[in-house]
Amino acid sequence: MTTTHPSDQQQRGTTPQGNTGNRVPRRPKAQSRAPWILLAPFLALFLLTFILPILVAIASSFTKVTRKGLFGEAGVTSEFAWFSNYAQALSDGNFVASIGRMFLFGIVQVPVMIILCTVLALMLESTSARWPGFFRAAYFLPYGVPGVIATILWSFLYVPGLSPLIDIAGMFGLEPDFLGPNTVLWSIANIVLWSYAGYNMLIIVAQLKTIPVELYEAARVDGATTWRIARSIQLPLIKPALVLTTVFSIIGTLQLFAEAQVLKTVAPSIDSQYTPNLSAYSTAFAYNDYNVAAAQAVLIAAVALILSFAFLKFSNRKSS
Amino acid sequence: MTQFTRRQLLGAGLGTAALGMLAGCATPGTASVNGGPVIAPVASGEKITLKYWSWLKDLQKVADIWNESHPNVQVETVWIPGGNSGGYQKIFSALATQGGPDLAQVEMRSIPEFMLVNGLVDLTRYGAQETAHLYDPTLWSQVSYTGGVYGIPQDSGPMGMFYQPAVLEKVGATPPATWNEWGEVAGELRKTDAYMDCFPLGDASVFAAFATQAGAQWFRAEEDGWVINMTDPATMQAAEFFDSAIDKDLVQTAYGAFSPGWFAAAAKGGLASVTSGSWADALIAGVSGGEGKWRVAPMPVWDGGSGFGSSYLGGSTAAVLANSKHPKEALDFAVWMTTSKEGIDAMINNSGIGWSPAPGFIGTTRQKPSPFFSGQNYNQEVFEPATLQQNPDWSWWPVTTQSLNILSDGFRKKATGTSLVETMSIAEKQIMTVFKNKGLSIRREAS
Repeated sequence: MTTTHPSDQQQRGTTPQGNTGNRVPRRPKAQSRAPWILLAPFLALFLLTFILPILVAIASSFTKVTRKGLFGEAGVTSEFAWFSNYAQALSDGNFVASIGRMFLFGIVQVPVMIILCTVLALMLESTSARWPGFFRAAYFLPYGVPGVIATILWSFLYVPGLSPLIDIAGMFGLEPDFLGPNTVLWSIANIVLWSYAGYNMLIIVAQLKTIPVELYEAARVDGATTWRIARSIQLPLIKPALVLTTVFSIIGTLQLFAEAQVLKTVAPSIDSQYTPNLSAYSTAFAYNDYNVAAAQAVLIAAVALILSFAFLKFSNRKSS
Repeated sequence: MTQFTRRQLLGAGLGTAALGMLAGCATPGTASVNGGPVIAPVASGEKITLKYWSWLKDLQKVADIWNESHPNVQVETVWIPGGNSGGYQKIFSALATQGGPDLAQVEMRSIPEFMLVNGLVDLTRYGAQETAHLYDPTLWSQVSYTGGVYGIPQDSGPMGMFYQPAVLEKVGATPPATWNEWGEVAGELRKTDAYMDCFPLGDASVFAAFATQAGAQWFRAEEDGWVINMTDPATMQAAEFFDSAIDKDLVQTAYGAFSPGWFAAAAKGGLASVTSGSWADALIAGVSGGEGKWRVAPMPVWDGGSGFGSSYLGGSTAAVLANSKHPKEALDFAVWMTTSKEGIDAMINNSGIGWSPAPGFIGTTRQKPSPFFSGQNYNQEVFEPATLQQNPDWSWWPVTTQSLNILSDGFRKKATGTSLVETMSIAEKQIMTVFKNKGLSIRREAS
């Protein structure tokens, strides 16, 4: 966990690598073959199930199929289409809207998630915490519930007529609509928060545990308050974990799929292209437009890559 | 074993990748089986097993009846999720990899979509025309395209109005005969805090059925391509009617029929009726405490004397998929299942199918009064006549799912002020673009 700090890695990287060239000038054949043989099963699967599909998807995203006649009975042609599938994907208002929706979701969800899991972790690791083991398990438990099941559970709390929450709100004269066009996105955010806050909290707790006790003791001798300890010792030292959980949350936002797909059955306001992933899924398997779907998938991957790297770059620059 | 250098390994990897890319470049579904040779039936004595993917429950029990009398043609059923909730995705991906079962359940409206990816066998090549007379002509026309037959109708849903007499009585109403009367009753019901029905903004297929009833024909296959007209007077009449119903808050739009919210409201008497396909009877039987509280009336008709008495909502077929090695046997099984008395009864009793597409026999249990529906013999009273009052010209088209989604997306904007009427003409343009993107020729009906 501690080595994820990027500047750490750079420093350590220099020394051992400089040595390797001198220490082992020539290895016996068997010895140099061994790693490849041991790696072969992994490499084969990695190429077959990871690299190859990516290449096929990229190739597919540049192909266009044109049918003639009523159903293509008069001929079907496939041709290299440059960026026309990308143009078609980006001119699809619903797909663009889904990307916008995802950004909105991420801008709100990621900070809320990080703040919540940091606060939970700090509270559990503070000296005055009661039964930290129990609460740690309790907060982590939702992560053990698969996303689909979690959404079904929550949908019973969202659906009018079934939801006790709505009934209770009704007693106070409120009529919350969890599944309306403007609220359903936040209902999904709530499910995601419930599912993953405990998991992210655990990553931060693990990092908190690595802080040497001496630091706390020294701080207390100097008369630091709990708040001061959190601000000046814990937060700076758990930064690698915060970076990691933020990247997880950004990627998670881009992969939003199951929650929206399941909640669709009870929320009329969720359309078939609500999130970018749902959009690619519908385009491929409901509209049978594999080429445009491939273009959408490549676009989503590109956005994920850019966002993750931009965030890492940004957090690196701030630390140096 | 030779030693691999890193470069060789990389080369080999890239080589495999390039091969894969070549294979991958052939976008799935671009070759047709219907141009190839007809596959002969298997020789007698040879034993084969047919696979049937379907979302009907306990369908294996139906197949078992067939299996008993046909030891050489065994049918094995595999359950898949219903239609677009995952089943089609599964079938499409199986077809894309040159696999898939012999038979699959395909909704009427999705037949052209499967044809577009060359997923279906033209059954006229295996003698389907000889069985045409056994089926409802309206449904048969919905599986017939360009001289071929691409699925055997297995269930359908003539529409009627399921209602709760006690809720209607609160405002002194009886089931309305016309949509205008329906609107008046709905207005009265709003004063008692009940709704007449839902209008599903998220599922345009219901609106399509209402428009069909009014006499719409959105698509027509012509020699030179498709002809679209989604803004004809019949469709506009239906769109204007529901625009005004939603504006006056006469219909519930927060949830659709048979969703968890609907069941909760229906059980509390907050919904007076649901106009739906005949298959809704099995769903309404799931309303808690609903026994004896529901009856069935004919669907309200459109005012002005135009249109038809009913409409079909939903309905599916047993279609023979392109990669089947035994299309003739698969067709025989499908015809047995949907036209023989034992097949129909078994499908009703085990799988709870909708309306049987064979007009000769509606099913033994459906000839009797139903205790749940207040002892009403509603199948013979309401739905059997409804099958004779259908719009025969309605035809589905190759991008139905996407088109209905485009419509639903437009309907959802009703909340922000875009009327259904406006949505129809916007959607029409968008759907034409979808056709053109696929290279299919389409033109607007000259008005």
